[in-house]
Amino acid sequence: MTVSTGGPPPIEVRGLRKVFRQATSGQTVVAIDRLDLTVAPREVVAIVGQTGCGKSTFFDLAIGLEAPTDGSILIGDKSPHSDFDFFRGKIATVFQQDRLLPWRTALDNAKLPLELIGLPEDAQRERALTWLNRLGLGAFVNAYPHELSGGMRQRVAIARAFSVQPNILLADEAFGHLDEVTAGELRETFLKLARECGSTAILITHQLEEAIAVGDRIVVFGKSAKLLADIHVEKWPKEKYGVLREAIQATLQGNAPDARLNRA
Amino acid sequence: MSPAGHDEALTDRTPVPDLIFPRQTLVSLLVFAVCWETLSHLAPYLGIPPFAVPSFVTIAKSLVQITPIDIAVTLARVIGALVVSFLLGVFLAMAMYRSEALDNYLHPMIRILMAVPVVSWILFAVLWFPGVEFRIGFVLVVVCGPVFLVDSLDAMRGVPRELRHMMQSFRPTTLQYFVKLMLPAIVPSIFTAWKVNISLAIRVVTIAELVGAVTGIGHQLSVAEELFSVSDVFAWTLVLVVLLFLLEAVVARVEKRLLRWRP
Repeated sequence: MTVSTGGPPPIEVRGLRKVFRQATSGQTVVAIDRLDLTVAPREVVAIVGQTGCGKSTFFDLAIGLEAPTDGSILIGDKSPHSDFDFFRGKIATVFQQDRLLPWRTALDNAKLPLELIGLPEDAQRERALTWLNRLGLGAFVNAYPHELSGGMRQRVAIARAFSVQPNILLADEAFGHLDEVTAGELRETFLKLARECGSTAILITHQLEEAIAVGDRIVVFGKSAKLLADIHVEKWPKEKYGVLREAIQATLQGNAPDARLNRA
Repeated sequence: MSPAGHDEALTDRTPVPDLIFPRQTLVSLLVFAVCWETLSHLAPYLGIPPFAVPSFVTIAKSLVQITPIDIAVTLARVIGALVVSFLLGVFLAMAMYRSEALDNYLHPMIRILMAVPVVSWILFAVLWFPGVEFRIGFVLVVVCGPVFLVDSLDAMRGVPRELRHMMQSFRPTTLQYFVKLMLPAIVPSIFTAWKVNISLAIRVVTIAELVGAVTGIGHQLSVAEELFSVSDVFAWTLVLVVLLFLLEAVVARVEKRLLRWRP
């Protein structure tokens, strides 16, 4: 399988293992222990798990900033770590905090990934403006981050991620710090844009409502990213979302799959 | 679509005046001037030699005789050396940030360079180099360069992990990483280093020019000392102080413009 420009390739995780050595004690910590996971093209997968279960480590491995200790994570037939430059403009990220560059205006922040892929200046501006307008920030393109509210800053961060029209979108607790109304609006917008772009999206979250609202699939991580459950949300009727939420909750608390997850 | 929190956004900012010159400053300067002038008139009765505390009229006469070319020469030496120091300092800081090995080798050397007194550098320069300009340039760069280097390196290391992580996730080249993230992020620290170095350079260049130069404010101070002319020393010192304030004002102006993004 090769990465084509026509659409996003699948993400294949095989026997993924990541071990850290603690600087102070010298002890080793197994953050991810032999994880197998496949994400189909254009699929939106929500990963849920308790704090310290290895979600963020998986995020760093998926964007290629960390190398696996063992096993592999492949997008198409390429590794996001070993073939780091290949994925320039193909993978985009949204983080928990907006992480906007404070010295850049909203427009210049949204342009950043386009500058990195070397798009001509006019095209950069046009494309960044398009995405800022789509996110309802047309009147604020020249505002600096400190002049914007938290929700608006996160919109700029989403515009920045979508500006390159990436094959793969990774979001790490992207809406977790916002109030419920703003988070709900942004989630909806994010999902709509991801569908329109045809991107494969992986959202890491600790909020079960968010996972159910956004994901085609919900992957539940236990300790060391042990795969506790892999839930296809479309198999669950909307009226049973409450049961699903409780079952995931029980799975997380018991660190073992809850029986109700098999009765969709 | 209506982005949440528009009403909180774009808060008014009160313009800050360029130059704050409070009344207290004027009062203290005036009090000093009155005391000085009184002392100059009373000097003969207090057993102080008349030339030691010249009156403002005498100082004004010395000021009129100030030669602009010496000011220009000193200014050119200071600015030239600061630009070279800045470029060398930031470039080396980038290299040391990238390479831990280079940092481990160079860091002790830089600490040693910064511990050497200015007078020692001047003596080394006189003994090592024949050309006056090179001697002065060498002393200025060796004194100011490490300040730029250390401040830039510290600032680079202080760039928040979140921003570095975000930038890396978009896969910049090494050049893009520095140009788009590191250099803009360290601009506030660079301005602090410029302010420190302007003051340092003005003092160092004066000492360096005292020893062997035939032009510049330091040389003129040396001539004034040989002539026992306190009014000339006072006049040239006044020029140095004004020069320092002007350079600081220019830097502050540029800083305000470049850092307009700060809340």
